[in-house]
Amino acid sequence: MRGTGAVRLAVLGLMLACVPAEAAGDRALGEYLSSECTSCHQSSGKQVGGIPAIVGHPAEQFVALMNAYRERQRDNQAMQAVAARLSSEEIAALAAYYESLKPNP
Amino acid sequence: MSTSRRTFLTGFAAAGSFAIASPAVLGQAKPRVVVIGGGAGGATAARYIAKDSNGAIAVTLVEENEVYQTCFHSNLFIGGFKSYEDISHRYDALAKNHGITLARARATQIDRDKKEVVLSTGARLPYDRLVVSPGIDLKYDSVAGWSKEVEETMPHGWKPGRQTQLIKQKLDAVPNGGTIVMIAPPNPYRCPPGPYERASMFAHVLKATGRRDCKIFILDPKDSFSKQGVFQEGWEKHYGAMIEWLGPKVHDGIKSVDPKTNTVVTGFETYKDCAFVNVIPAQMAGEIARSAGLAPAGGYCTIDPASMKSAVDPNIFVLGDACIAGDMPKSAFSANSQAKVAAMVIRGELTNARTFPARYINTCWSLIETDDTIKVGGRYEAKDGKIAATETFVSQPRESAELRKENQAENVGWYAAITADMFS
Ligand SMILES: Cc1cc2nc3c(=O)[nH]c(=O)nc-3n(C[C@H](O)[C@H](O)[C@H](O)COP(=O)(O)OP(=O)(O)OC[C@H]3O[C@@H](n4cnc5c(N)ncnc54)[C@H](O)[C@@H]3O)c2cc1C
Repeated sequence: MRGTGAVRLAVLGLMLACVPAEAAGDRALGEYLSSECTSCHQSSGKQVGGIPAIVGHPAEQFVALMNAYRERQRDNQAMQAVAARLSSEEIAALAAYYESLKPNP
Repeated sequence: MSTSRRTFLTGFAAAGSFAIASPAVLGQAKPRVVVIGGGAGGATAARYIAKDSNGAIAVTLVEENEVYQTCFHSNLFIGGFKSYEDISHRYDALAKNHGITLARARATQIDRDKKEVVLSTGARLPYDRLVVSPGIDLKYDSVAGWSKEVEETMPHGWKPGRQTQLIKQKLDAVPNGGTIVMIAPPNPYRCPPGPYERASMFAHVLKATGRRDCKIFILDPKDSFSKQGVFQEGWEKHYGAMIEWLGPKVHDGIKSVDPKTNTVVTGFETYKDCAFVNVIPAQMAGEIARSAGLAPAGGYCTIDPASMKSAVDPNIFVLGDACIAGDMPKSAFSANSQAKVAAMVIRGELTNARTFPARYINTCWSLIETDDTIKVGGRYEAKDGKIAATETFVSQPRESAELRKENQAENVGWYAAITADMFS
């Protein structure tokens, strides 16, 4: 059991080391940028109709999705337009912000 | 925790926020923001300023109506896709959840020298920053023969409430074989695709109720209109020859209307005994913005594209339909987006909150027939002295039914989200 614990800690250390690239984005910037999202994606995390809930979304996945829209590998004209002008830093900031929220629908 | 201790803590928190307020507002309890108009621009601005300042700014929302009926999705109400209740919203949650003070009155004057808003109740509301989002006023003299006195006989349905209901009543009373004439407005006006979505909803209702012999003529002062190609493709596909659009080269000028005989005269033709005439007139900024000198007579307000500040008064921000927002159309989505930029700038000025470069966004969905929805939109930034589009998109002809259905699902989700973003 002890061994597992040490491995866990080591893994955790590794994860933390990796974090800055993804989730440690500028949360305040993310909060401001998120005001562009909230016209369609409810800040409570409630989902209605064909617009997915993004509150509490894992940052890594969030970044991957936004990159896919930015590279036009994922379809959706509105999301492609949103992603097109976001820098990687801004996407990371948004991802950090949304990951930090708890759904409250 | 005892009540007194809780009160003390709240008071302490407020004092803490006050300590970082900018020098401009030192010496008073809290900086004050007054918002005129509880629509897409005003409700959003009030909510974001109050919510994001955590009580450090005192926000008062001045709105004359108790209930806000959205113009957006009013066409879906006319088409039978939504109930009247579905498009009606109240302000209670803004007071309860964010401590916004609701002033249920008409703003009758802006005293820019004293920085006060005068209300119909006689009250005067001092402000440090003022947000003006009163929407549009109609130009009743823009169609000969039409006036405020006859707006119930030939309704416009371009302001919400009773007018929207009148449009639906008149549509429901059209007999099979009857003629409907819609007079479309000249640019710039509230919701560029709105008249054409509405004509689609007219045809949808007529077709669904066995009145396929009706004819809808859209008489347009413009040579072209928003999403024209995909609208016209959809009309032909779903409604055959029911909807006919006529630009100025064809109708040769809209000369006059006669509400007594339900007649519409153009240079080319006279439409007699119409079953229903929908006059959507030319528009301008809401009265309060014009009387305060924020807009020229009969026009709209010029704003600074980086902040939404009025070009004539640095303490006033103008949002939504009342302003000229460069490449952005007059839509609820645009007004909501502009409100967030203004809210950020205002918090920056009054409480030294961090600010970021302005960005704006818009998408307008239009329903042509059940599950066939098209969209147009873009992203915008302050560039070359105006709000300029950096990205744009529009639905294309011959798109799959599946994509159009997804668009409608987005439209439904958007409505729920924007109304939550305004009123929750
Ligand atoms: C048929 C139709 C369909 C539409 N569809 C869409 C759509 O699908 N998507 C979209 O994004 N937009 C749509 N719109 C456009 C949208 O409704 C407007 O662009 C939006 O409401 C503008 O917001 P605003 O804040 O400028 O004004 P409004 O939302 O009109 O709000 C103004 C508010 O100010 C109040 N007010 C005005 N003057 C005073 C005063 N002196 N004192 C106190 N209160 C005052 C009014 O009562 C009102 O509540 C549509 C419009 C129409 C007509």
